[in-house]
Amino acid sequence: MARWGMVIDLARCIGCAGCQMACKAENGTPPGITWCRVEVKDIGNFPAVRRIPLPVQCMHCREPECEKVCPTGATEKTESGIVRVDSELCMGCRACVLACPYGARYFYEEKKGYYETLSLFEELAYKRHRVGTVTKCDFCQERVERGLDQGLKPGVDREATPACVFNCMTKGRFFGDLDDPRSTVSLLVASGRAFQLLPGHPSDPQVYYLTPGTTLSAGGREDGK
Amino acid sequence: MNQELHKKTEREDRWIPTICGECYNACSILVRVVNGVVRKIEGNPDSPIGMGRLCPKGTAGIMTMYDPNRVNAPLKRTNPEKGIGVDPRWQEITWEEALATVAEKLKKVRREDPKKLFMMGTTTTVSIQRGVSVSFATAFGTPNHSSSGGGLHCGNGAHFAAGLFHGSWSMVPDFEYCQYAIYFGSSKGHAAGHAANINAQMAADARARGMKLVVVDPLCSFAAAKSTEWVPIRPGTDGAMALAMINTLLNELGIYDAEYLQKHTNAPYLIGPDGYYVKDLDSGKPLVWDLGTGAPKCFDASDVMDYALEGVFEVQGTRCQPAFTLLREHVKSYTAEKAETISTVPAATIRRLAREFGEHSRIGSTIIMDGKKFPFRPVAAVVFRGAQGHKNSAHTCYSIELLNQIVGCSDVVGGSLGFNPVSFGHPDTGQPAFAPTPAPDGLLCPGTWLTPHRIYPPRDPAPPQTMGLKEIHPLGQSSPYVVSADQEELWTKFNLSYRPEVMLNYGANPVMTMGNPGTVIEALKKIPFIVSSNLFLNEFTDLADIVLPDTCYMERYDTLPNSPPILNHPAGMGEWGFAIGQPVVPRQYQRWDYGEFILEVADRIGITRELNAVLNMFYGLQPPYELPPDRKTTREELADLHLKFNFGAERGLQWFKEHGLIKWPKKPEEVYWRIHNKCRVPVYMEFMKRTGTKVKKILELFDVPLDLSHYEALPDWHPCPSHQVKDPQFDLYAFYYRDVLHTNSATMENAWLDEASEINPYSYNITIHPAVGKKKGIQNGDLIWVESVSGRKVRGKVNLSEGINPEGLAVAGCMGHWALGMPKAKGKGVLFNELLELDMNHADPANMNLDLCVKVKIYRDHQGRS
Ligand code: SF4
Ligand code: SF4
Ligand code: SF4
Ligand code: SF4
Repeated sequence: MARWGMVIDLARCIGCAGCQMACKAENGTPPGITWCRVEVKDIGNFPAVRRIPLPVQCMHCREPECEKVCPTGATEKTESGIVRVDSELCMGCRACVLACPYGARYFYEEKKGYYETLSLFEELAYKRHRVGTVTKCDFCQERVERGLDQGLKPGVDREATPACVFNCMTKGRFFGDLDDPRSTVSLLVASGRAFQLLPGHPSDPQVYYLTPGTTLSAGGREDGK
Repeated sequence: MNQELHKKTEREDRWIPTICGECYNACSILVRVVNGVVRKIEGNPDSPIGMGRLCPKGTAGIMTMYDPNRVNAPLKRTNPEKGIGVDPRWQEITWEEALATVAEKLKKVRREDPKKLFMMGTTTTVSIQRGVSVSFATAFGTPNHSSSGGGLHCGNGAHFAAGLFHGSWSMVPDFEYCQYAIYFGSSKGHAAGHAANINAQMAADARARGMKLVVVDPLCSFAAAKSTEWVPIRPGTDGAMALAMINTLLNELGIYDAEYLQKHTNAPYLIGPDGYYVKDLDSGKPLVWDLGTGAPKCFDASDVMDYALEGVFEVQGTRCQPAFTLLREHVKSYTAEKAETISTVPAATIRRLAREFGEHSRIGSTIIMDGKKFPFRPVAAVVFRGAQGHKNSAHTCYSIELLNQIVGCSDVVGGSLGFNPVSFGHPDTGQPAFAPTPAPDGLLCPGTWLTPHRIYPPRDPAPPQTMGLKEIHPLGQSSPYVVSADQEELWTKFNLSYRPEVMLNYGANPVMTMGNPGTVIEALKKIPFIVSSNLFLNEFTDLADIVLPDTCYMERYDTLPNSPPILNHPAGMGEWGFAIGQPVVPRQYQRWDYGEFILEVADRIGITRELNAVLNMFYGLQPPYELPPDRKTTREELADLHLKFNFGAERGLQWFKEHGLIKWPKKPEEVYWRIHNKCRVPVYMEFMKRTGTKVKKILELFDVPLDLSHYEALPDWHPCPSHQVKDPQFDLYAFYYRDVLHTNSATMENAWLDEASEINPYSYNITIHPAVGKKKGIQNGDLIWVESVSGRKVRGKVNLSEGINPEGLAVAGCMGHWALGMPKAKGKGVLFNELLELDMNHADPANMNLDLCVKVKIYRDHQGRS
């Protein structure tokens, strides 16, 4: 059994939010629910400063805080490492939303579209979401499993790879089996550039980031001031 | 409609290849259609145009398509009063009524004076609609066809330079081989814009490979964020910095590619004391000095042994010098120290960057591609909208482009590449084929261009009879005068013999994109009858008399949106790819393509014969694939003929509907064409001087004062209005830039893009430096007013960021919509254009580019925190 993980290379990422859109399109999430969202942070001081984009989503933690607090067992870490919510079991208490240290969970409050009426697309897309439950990124489980059934390799074959990964226009996202030491994700995690959000937090995210790698050059000042 | 769909028993679920229409790149997409409804858009992995990935706008296109606020039927106004906030009181009408009304108005103006028709088109797409629209204008007999905002707000300077030097619409580093790129006000490969999606992929690879990227920009922009070095320059001073770099290269370091300058530029052309070429008396060709024989020769003489770049010579009894010598002497006054006082970039940095650029260019080196030897110059200086969006647009772009010419890195391996100006065509048909050709003076004339107008040789100036006064701005493309504050005054002075009476607009929203809306609205209100084809009721349609329900790109045919491939096709090696757009779902309601509308209207007013002739010319169609002269065509037929003409009888529309696109590998001689092409490029703009003299004569006739100092053959840095403001209260340079999430104003209504823009602190807010905030008691999230020297003001929320030159104030995109018909866009972001003056004093005298930078003061809104 694989242990799915993801690596996001912040040196390649330009913060375009293409992943956020790809996720919306693949999973048809309703308004306000962005399983993947792209935040932006500035680091450094003028002129030695850089704008760092930071795509955030469920980290599919090895020790998920969300799972610990879920009273119904709706949140569950599967064998393949995907942390998923069974919307049939979720009673919408939202304990997990508070417990998740990464802000990855969203409560689906009411069936509402982006406009006054649901568009044709929205009617089609929102079917899979159940009002009154908590939702979040599921590593495109359906897509990955459908791909596996067809004998495809997640992270390599497009049809078996999460939408945010294969669509990224800087080729900055990677998906694969962290238990396979030869997978791209494993190699990247071992590259020395990888880090997890909230370092030292016991949650142990399975979504890793690669450092932006930009040197904060002194922005055109020879004296480095 | 919904019920009908659900009733369908058979389940349809398929992927259809077509093109994205959220920006002009027309990336190849695959659209998943489930029971007649678009369920998902993905990039088409089979196509070089996008390579299977999409920018955020591309994926989000589904929300544009199904936005319930779209216009679904032709509408006519019933309230004669026009203005901001005045309800036009739309009434639905039939297409028959719309067509009959428009045809009648058009017949009348065509009888009186065809110039009374003013046409405008969006720059968001370069689709078939545009070709049909431009062709209609020509067939009708009006020279007044204009592009909306994108025209003024991007191209006049950058396209001018790219046209002259690369025979293309724009340029990029050769991402695959470049080792050192310096960007001036450009985010190519990091945000929106030319070939955005593919360039982002290629730039990320270049970054991973270790290409150094220096970004000169007052904002730590999308590109600066990924750069090896960010140089936070003062807005509008890039030209001064570039000239100082040239001075350093030529006069301090002595780094230049003499062989390139001799063979591929007019550097050796002899210039007389009057500043003009010294020409051969018989042939009229410019002369060069051959050091080998010690005699003057025609520039293209085959026996020149050694072109002189330096020295003083005597020819035909006058003293003359090679253009290169004049350039070298001229730039001496641009010391790095002088540039520092202008640009705030330290002299030592300017010198270092010049040296790095020169050293990385590896002058003299070669590389073997496909078994053939090519020059290898892995550096590129790239200019785009930021640097060129000023009153000194033309000279700024020219100065920056000279950096490429001096080290010989233009259209060679690793260098600065024009977007595909050379094509040998598909192996089966040899089409589409194009390449720059030399003018009689040897200078480059582009082989392909977006419209029939070519940048070189420049049109001869003439007394203006176009609304945009293009006759006295032969080096510009998009004109502010079609909507400027001083248009009536200028038109009167030039005795313009007519005033616009009918306007046909395709998809543009000039109210939001051309300058301050008040000025634009006043100009447009004077046009008695306006017809506009739009997806939404917007700020511009509030001035329209008839609104037509446009189709979304997934509802129509589009022939070869990637042709000419001069801004949406990846430069560098790889593949050629030509795709078509096709409807993926049946169109709903009474939506119609603008193209269809134009073809029908042309027929009703009896100019089908003329239109078909122009369309044949525009699309380069030749027998047996010409449009018939005597009957109305359809866009399907036009697409079919265009495709067959280019790719063979068996590859018509039907073939393309199945396959989506055709592709084949590029040849290195196409991509790195410079050394195989006879054209030279102007390091000395003799034509500018010549044109200026002619313009001057015309202006004197009409007593119009225009600053002609920009019509000089050698580059200079000219201060902009913002640099001349003395009042210390106005202490910030306000400028705007393109957000990766949006295409001008066109995508602002998209709900998903809106959601992402809300998350990104840069998209909807006013960015200033925390030190400025501290000084003025302004905190993050505060509501502030931004007020220009002339008292124009806008309000918005503050985003404090270390990533901006403390002298700067940055705003993203064309935002701040107020129209009720675009509820997602309404009230979002900041309407930067409100601050802009729209008149001759704020336009580049040479290329008409509007100055997009304003000196402002800021203060807190009395409501304080929002
Ligand atoms: S799509 Fe890729 S480049 Fe764009 S924000 Fe997401 S990870 Fe970054
Ligand atoms: S990121 Fe949050 S939601 Fe996801 S597994 Fe970790 S704790 Fe749970
Ligand atoms: S893995 Fe799938 S569900 Fe998770 S963020 Fe990416 S696209 Fe969304
Ligand atoms: S770059 Fe333009 S054409 Fe390509 S996906 Fe984005 S919006 Fe569409």
